[in-house]
Amino acid sequence: MNKEAPLSIAERDFVLNALREDVRLDGRGLDQLRPLKVSFGEEYGHVKVQLGKTTLIIRISSEVTKPRDDRPFDGVFTIALELTAMGSPAWDNGRQGDLETYVTNVVDRVVRHSNALDTESLCILKGISCWSIRADVHVVDYDGNLIDAACIGVMAGLQHFRRPDAVVKDGQVVVYGIDERLPVALNITHKPLAITFHTFDEGKRVILDATRKEEQASEADVVIGMNSAGDVCYVSKFSGAPVDAMVFVTKSKVALEKVKEINGIIDKALQADLAKRTDTGMVEQSRAENDR
Amino acid sequence: MTTPLILLPGDDVPSDYLPSNSSAPLRLGPGLRLLSEQVPTSSGSSGSHVITATQAGLVSTDTKKNGVSIASFPNRRYIPTTNDLVIAQVHHSSADFFHCMITPQAPHVLLPQLAFEGATKKTRPMLRGGDLVYARVLSVGVGAGAEVELTCVNPATGKAEPGGLGPLTGGMVFDISTGMAARLIRASSSKGDDEDGVEGLVVLDELGKKLESVGGFEIAVGRNGKVWVDSSNGGDSSVKATVAIGRCLTTIDEHELNTTDQRKLVTRILREMRVE
Repeated sequence: MNKEAPLSIAERDFVLNALREDVRLDGRGLDQLRPLKVSFGEEYGHVKVQLGKTTLIIRISSEVTKPRDDRPFDGVFTIALELTAMGSPAWDNGRQGDLETYVTNVVDRVVRHSNALDTESLCILKGISCWSIRADVHVVDYDGNLIDAACIGVMAGLQHFRRPDAVVKDGQVVVYGIDERLPVALNITHKPLAITFHTFDEGKRVILDATRKEEQASEADVVIGMNSAGDVCYVSKFSGAPVDAMVFVTKSKVALEKVKEINGIIDKALQADLAKRTDTGMVEQSRAENDR
Repeated sequence: MTTPLILLPGDDVPSDYLPSNSSAPLRLGPGLRLLSEQVPTSSGSSGSHVITATQAGLVSTDTKKNGVSIASFPNRRYIPTTNDLVIAQVHHSSADFFHCMITPQAPHVLLPQLAFEGATKKTRPMLRGGDLVYARVLSVGVGAGAEVELTCVNPATGKAEPGGLGPLTGGMVFDISTGMAARLIRASSSKGDDEDGVEGLVVLDELGKKLESVGGFEIAVGRNGKVWVDSSNGGDSSVKATVAIGRCLTTIDEHELNTTDQRKLVTRILREMRVE
């Protein structure tokens, strides 16, 4: 059964009635995120994101490939997101559901199409070799709001990832291992994040960061992609009931606040991780000047 | 008997851990199975069965009901066992049955349309898809693909036993682990005047005391990891009271809280939600 179990009538009515009194099931405010935790693994580009009970593991990896023929100066960047039975019993392995297509599309638009990763900097030798960066998103536990969590994870992963150094010597591409030369951080142009809102009660109630039950009871969702500078790079409202235009205007402000808040959390986690790496001397050991 | 015993699947329950009350037949709870019968010995019949655990967990005995069961670690997967009380959600109905879900993504279970208190062809409840029913597991069948059957009456008496079985209207359902559901049922069914509560749970007593002024609440615990809460008597604060109860139960489920912490949590959440 490749389907989310429908909510009971009682649950649906209660979620709506509670929202009419501005009460949410977990006691949050309407514009309040669930507790967000971003942590990094031992290797570069291994991120774990916990947004309430929604848990994702994101892995960034790199390899040298041939650039596409029509874009000889560009590297390749792909985001692979697959919903497997690991995340929720409602999902089947190897069968693509609507949610998977939707989330993949939005994350791709927000992160890749907004040029968050400067793909031109991934070029090694024009038309011959470039870096291919791949972000794998694994859902470990699902309790709503996959889009925001996936964006947070991919962006944190890109900022944390270090690719091996590569140089061109006499027309030959030489890739140095991570322990030979200090690995290189990716060139991030800006830090966009998606903020998803769900609407209820004919668009009169709008909430942020919905849980699975709230998502199921909602009428429609609105996704706003934005970076910390306040540049909107993505707005969508795919399906569901109509939403008043003013919602987009007022909620953009809320989204900006939240993007700043989340980017702050990511930066803090990155710094803490960097400090840990310096403590253990991994940066020192991997310096290029060291004797080997 | 006093030391707690943890069993792994396949372990036998030692006979000194079984309740010794021999007047009533021994009741096996979830996680245990009568695997084989030993060769009858001349000394007596009490030691003639081997009871084996099918889940990992703590052996817990109920001397009053002469029952023994396994309190499993907190998981969310429910395996139907006869006589469990569950909260089922109607999916669709056919000529004679309501097809219900007790676990999402598991095969539907059957609830006969006449298995309600006082139901006849004309007076049976008309349930739609999405309605909730508090029911008892009548039989689980044998082997793969066996159908699980629910009932809302005691077939012998025709009454809704224990009370409260039947359709649930209004209220809200919260998801908890199956272990927590089992603890809640035991805590509420055996009323102890113990300061520490039964099974280390005082949350319901505490909530009952605190919410008496706003009209109290109704609660139904399903062994399938669902709790239905309704406090519609509460007037203005009914929604807040229901959410507060749900939050208390889910927080206690996720964090291991002792009785004082549970009392503190109840006070804190009620103050946060501004109920009282």
